[in-house]
Amino acid sequence: MSTAPSQGMGKYVAIWIGLICIAGIEVLLTYRGFSTHGLLAVLFILAIIEAGIGLAYFMHLKYESGYLVWTLVPFVVFVLLMMNQIWPDAYRVASLRLLTQ
Amino acid sequence: MSESHVAVGGHDAFMEPSPFGIQSKKLTMWLFIASDAITFGAVLFGYAYLRAGTPNWPTPFHFSPSIINGMVMTVVLLTSSLTMLGAVQAAKAGDKSKALRWMGLTILLGIAFAVLHIREWFHMFGEGWSLFKNPEGGSVLFGASFFSITGLHLMHVISGVIALIVIAIGYNTDWLDKNHVETTGLYWHFVDLVWMFVFPLVYLMNATR
Repeated sequence: MSTAPSQGMGKYVAIWIGLICIAGIEVLLTYRGFSTHGLLAVLFILAIIEAGIGLAYFMHLKYESGYLVWTLVPFVVFVLLMMNQIWPDAYRVASLRLLTQ
Repeated sequence: MSESHVAVGGHDAFMEPSPFGIQSKKLTMWLFIASDAITFGAVLFGYAYLRAGTPNWPTPFHFSPSIINGMVMTVVLLTSSLTMLGAVQAAKAGDKSKALRWMGLTILLGIAFAVLHIREWFHMFGEGWSLFKNPEGGSVLFGASFFSITGLHLMHVISGVIALIVIAIGYNTDWLDKNHVETTGLYWHFVDLVWMFVFPLVYLMNATR
């Protein structure tokens, strides 16, 4: 079983406030005049940070066996990265639009 | 192993310990979460490339009410993760009534999130948005991706609320134990985690700036 220390809700409340703050920062950055690609990159990085905090503390992955972490995380990341070999084909949409003009 | 060992230990005598140090139900949930993360990853990556690669992509979400509504939904879902943590901690401490109270609160917050989401959907339907329609002109892919991604996430929230109700009933009647509460909590946190990507990528990226 997870060996997550049960030290009350204080730490979790702090993390909850932190996550809400990151979401607030995301909203503020949205109206800062970034380009579409720039905003996408910034929001994606902040979302990954939020997800990492959630995984580590809310889902207690930080306290699980290293075997579990090293079995799950690299596998998921590898598959997601491999998907990026085919997704850029979506940029073809922009090219197709130019062709039809 | 002697016959007497088998007689005393039963089938348990042959069971090897989990290499991950967790119960099989929890390992199964982690594997489900990994596969579901890949599903959402595929959908969100595909959407992000479409969004960045389509020049006439609409940005219909005004700060009020759409982005404010999204922020409220974010706070509601994050708070439900906190209450779920309370339920898991109380269940581990053996405080059943406290665990059930926290679970009840989580269920209510999950329902609140779903209601806010469905209300927003109907508002958009009223404006003429649908899977294949874009009343503002430009790419119709916005409606297809928005309703697909948020619909997939909403389905997970509704499934989670149903699962939480079943687990709460089972835990209350001693049919299920604290480990079931913890395993369901993992799923609920995952649903919250996915929203951490949906809100910025689907709502904020489409905010009217």
